[in-house]
Amino acid sequence: MKYRITHTTLYHYSQSVGLCQNEARLQPRNFWQQQCHHSHFDIQPTPTNFNEWLDFFGNHVTYFAIQRPHTQLTVTAISEVTLFPRQNNLDLANRMPWEQARSLLQEIPMQGLSQSQYGQGQNQSQQQNQDQSVEILDARQYLLDSPMVTVTAELADYAQQSFLPNRPLVDVVHDLMQRIYKDFTYDPSFTTIATPLSDVLKFRRGVCQDFAHLAIGCLRAYNIAARYISGYVETLPEVGQQRLVGADASHAWFSVYIPNTGWLDFDPTNNTVPLDQHITLAWGRDYADVTPLKGIAFGGGQHTLSVSVDVLRLE
Amino acid sequence: MRNTNSPANNIGVQYYATQLGIYDEMYATENKVLPYWERFMDALDSMGSETLEARRKEAQRLLRENGVTYNVYGDAQNLTRPWRLDPIPLLISSEEWLTIEIGLKQRAELLNLILKDIYGKQNLLKKGLLPADLIFAHDGFLRPCMELLKNQRHQLTLYSANLARGPKGRMWVLDDRTQAPSGSGYALENRTVMTRVLPDIFRETQVRRLAGFFKALRSGLAEIAHHNKEDPRIVILTPGPLNETYFEHAYLAAYLGFTLVQGDDLTVRDGRVWLKSLSGLQAVDVILRRVDDSFCDPLELRSNSQLGVAGLLDAVRRGNVAIANPLGSSVLENSGLLAFLPRLARYFLNEELKLPSVATWWCGQKRERDFVLQNLDNLVIKPINRNQDNHAVFGGLLSSKDKDQLRSQILAKPHFFIGQEQVSFSTLPAFVDHHIEARNAVLRTFTVASGGDYVVMSGGLTRIARQKDNFIVSNQAGGISKDTWVLAAEPDKPVSIWTQPKRNQLIEPVIEPLTSRAADNLFWVGRHIERVKTISRLLRSVLRKLRETLEFKDSVDNECLQVLLCALTQVTGTYPGFVKCDARLLESPQNELLSLAKDGQRKGSLTANIQAFVQSAFSIRDFWSQDTWRSVDTIQRRWQQRVLHNEITVEQLQANLDDLITGIVAFTGLTSESMTREAAWLMLDSGRRLERALTLIALLRSALASRHEDALQSQVLEAVLDSTDSLTIYQRRYRSYIQLPLVLELLLLDESHPRSLAYQLHQLSIHISALPRTKGNRHLSEEEQLILKAYTDLRLCNVLELTQVNENDGIYINLDQLLSNTTTLLWRLADVIAEAYFSHSQTSQLIMPITPEDEL
Repeated sequence: MKYRITHTTLYHYSQSVGLCQNEARLQPRNFWQQQCHHSHFDIQPTPTNFNEWLDFFGNHVTYFAIQRPHTQLTVTAISEVTLFPRQNNLDLANRMPWEQARSLLQEIPMQGLSQSQYGQGQNQSQQQNQDQSVEILDARQYLLDSPMVTVTAELADYAQQSFLPNRPLVDVVHDLMQRIYKDFTYDPSFTTIATPLSDVLKFRRGVCQDFAHLAIGCLRAYNIAARYISGYVETLPEVGQQRLVGADASHAWFSVYIPNTGWLDFDPTNNTVPLDQHITLAWGRDYADVTPLKGIAFGGGQHTLSVSVDVLRLE
Repeated sequence: MRNTNSPANNIGVQYYATQLGIYDEMYATENKVLPYWERFMDALDSMGSETLEARRKEAQRLLRENGVTYNVYGDAQNLTRPWRLDPIPLLISSEEWLTIEIGLKQRAELLNLILKDIYGKQNLLKKGLLPADLIFAHDGFLRPCMELLKNQRHQLTLYSANLARGPKGRMWVLDDRTQAPSGSGYALENRTVMTRVLPDIFRETQVRRLAGFFKALRSGLAEIAHHNKEDPRIVILTPGPLNETYFEHAYLAAYLGFTLVQGDDLTVRDGRVWLKSLSGLQAVDVILRRVDDSFCDPLELRSNSQLGVAGLLDAVRRGNVAIANPLGSSVLENSGLLAFLPRLARYFLNEELKLPSVATWWCGQKRERDFVLQNLDNLVIKPINRNQDNHAVFGGLLSSKDKDQLRSQILAKPHFFIGQEQVSFSTLPAFVDHHIEARNAVLRTFTVASGGDYVVMSGGLTRIARQKDNFIVSNQAGGISKDTWVLAAEPDKPVSIWTQPKRNQLIEPVIEPLTSRAADNLFWVGRHIERVKTISRLLRSVLRKLRETLEFKDSVDNECLQVLLCALTQVTGTYPGFVKCDARLLESPQNELLSLAKDGQRKGSLTANIQAFVQSAFSIRDFWSQDTWRSVDTIQRRWQQRVLHNEITVEQLQANLDDLITGIVAFTGLTSESMTREAAWLMLDSGRRLERALTLIALLRSALASRHEDALQSQVLEAVLDSTDSLTIYQRRYRSYIQLPLVLELLLLDESHPRSLAYQLHQLSIHISALPRTKGNRHLSEEEQLILKAYTDLRLCNVLELTQVNENDGIYINLDQLLSNTTTLLWRLADVIAEAYFSHSQTSQLIMPITPEDEL
């Protein structure tokens, strides 16, 4: 499945901005599930000091500055991505109980290794062992509180119903996703970026970011590693309707680490397991790690902002 | 109980010995005073209690006059707390110091290696030598800083440790300070003061000097520069005057010759960091930061920070600026690390830790957690993140309910907590209430990477608890500091921190760029001091007139008083005041006058202006010479002591106004005599000239724009001349009855009279044309146009036209018009100068979607 994504952000300022510096995570990352063939920016006014690097989580980051006075800024990112949907059945069939997954993550995996490996040649099984250990080590950071997700007793209470004893982790997460979908009302007017998770839980309202954060918090409360994914989802027009260009938006969901299997995505907003319509931009502990576009502007007075996203299926 | 047998002038050395706990610095483990302490204490003893108390007071006076303060958070009333210094230093023998020095160097090397690993390959985490959770859960681990450390041997430039001596006499490290260690400036100031108050004892006790450390600091900072290694521009980044150790930032900036800046004095353009100065952008090579790392870049780190520089991290990433300490180094302040240091010392250095840390158990591990939970009563429980919300808790002091709560907190997030052994520190003598007493002490040490090695300050900042038997030693809790004397085997040669030029080598003078913030503050220092002076003089004239009115009960006196009272309200802008007020207030104006003088909450009052003056001056503390700062301090302190903290009458106020005016004259005299005629002076004097012009106009408009009866007019004119310090000149020059045209000639048009409007405008136009923006430009800038217009309009006036009166309303219409137009021009001028030169005033904002973009 191949897509072209056009993501445009337009800022209007009431007063001139003399200098602005920006950081974008708008270029889809490559990993075994997807490949980004091509990605470029179109920015007006022309920026200076472009700089690109991979962040701690392996996401593409772009820094740019506008150093001359402007009252309007347009940032467009155009990317072409091919998805390689994996056979989810196999992953979903993983029957490891959540308690076992939890204790696998809890153990300090390295200690056996660290004793033997100094300067020694490694055989293949040691190598494999080490790869898995590195993966678990990486997963462990998604057990901890992060800037926007703090584990609380309330989150644990809400999640408890899904964590039946000896239930396979995959089923637990599935159940949790369905419950969030069922219990919570999608309401863009209710939350902003700053709305705390406790409010989302209390009022049972929110948007995709909130639902992803909520699920992540619930899972971490039981020491299950969960991370936040920012990206896009293809929307199909209703039968008989024309496809509207630019009517899409960016999206967010979450991913769970299943030992021996790897990371498995879930979309609580749509109650689906992403397969071939979810394009990943970036992942991190929560939204704060992967904000698609943020900047610091000097001057500018009031600003307004509009975003349009177009996800076009090419083949 | 004090020993009542001791003679009054005895400092109590004998008695001291009977009161000691486990380990005292003076006695060590022996039952006998250590020889070097004995010599020192003998000298003190022969000085006697009274002399020592006098020396202690002298030290406090010097510290106060030098403006050595420590700010206390959350205490707006007494924000700046005077720095307290005990006259008895901590003495450390040279042999012992050597052990400490070696231990500190080893620890600095070790922490440096850990830092490089955490932000580089993370082998420690991969090999399980450090638990990943311990690092990942710590606020100081800044993911955006990964891979940012450049290939240089010592990334950790500055390192401080808090040391205390345990019961068996061994030095322990309580904690490590790695991101922006404070205290070295206080240590230096303590030393400066000690050499003045105990000069003889200091000379006789061969004490190692501190300058070597600062010399190493200067060269260590130059070494980390990526550009201009020969002569890098180094700035000290401070959070600003409200920060607890702001004094030290300003002090070190002045001592080391670096520019003191706040976040918005800097900007990132073209991937480099620039200093916004009056003469344009100046490239910055090295930042010595005193801002916590997560606050340093609102773009990539904490987005709500107003203390940082947007884009700073990217400039670091490009290798265009070096920061000491590097961003992210607070990860080493993780108290849980202490538990792993012995293992890491063996791993990295193949050595045992030479300076042990206090025994620490990190609860992220099961065995350690169980131990901590079982031994809560005997341990100190601390969070791994050190911040204001998280405090150390003494388990034994908790109620059983609180203990249960702590237990469940630890179980919920075990990796957040450590348990630490409770240490009892050694004591040392302190001079309290005229005799010596034992106090628990903590020594902060300072280390800097320089010339491929770590250099340790031979001394440090010793702090003692305020109360006896108190283990909590902190400045926020009101601790007292001590100098630290490391004894030398032989006399230590003085070192200058400045490089010695070769013979006959001429050195290019460095013209320090003036930051726009400093320019702004200088301008306002000038405006406020002038305003204080004008108000004091006018108030003094009013009080004089008030006394005459009460004494002679003359109706003309009374009318004149009313004119002056109105003028006072108008000059100070403290409406409604005496303008259109009811008759009772005019009859007994005393309370309103006292409020105008004393009420600091009232905008425009004398006290409010004094406070604003001191605040602006303090914000640029590094600009003032010691004498100048003392004059600022005197103005403030006397006013506080004599006026604010006293119930005074208007009569007593008058004497204090004389005193205040003398203080102001000292300040203006010192600045005029000691400031070079560069941008800083131009800003300060422009502020003064502008304010003098504006207040003079306000006075003349209020008092003289309408016609008065002859008798009244003459009194009003006399009072105006008096309050503008021009009466004597008038009498000498005109030798005549005081009349309006001549007064206007003198106060408005006479360019040779330093109090006249023409003089102010002339000076302003000279200053403005000398400012960097206008220099060498063929077109007149807006500020030049404004001052030219104001000055020319004034020069084209003549007093006869100005004194033509409109018969309908009795107003000198031309005079009023001129004064009003000039005011408008000058206000606009102030705005234009602010826009053109104080560019830091532009605020930044975070732009990102505030409502989530989403779809269903």
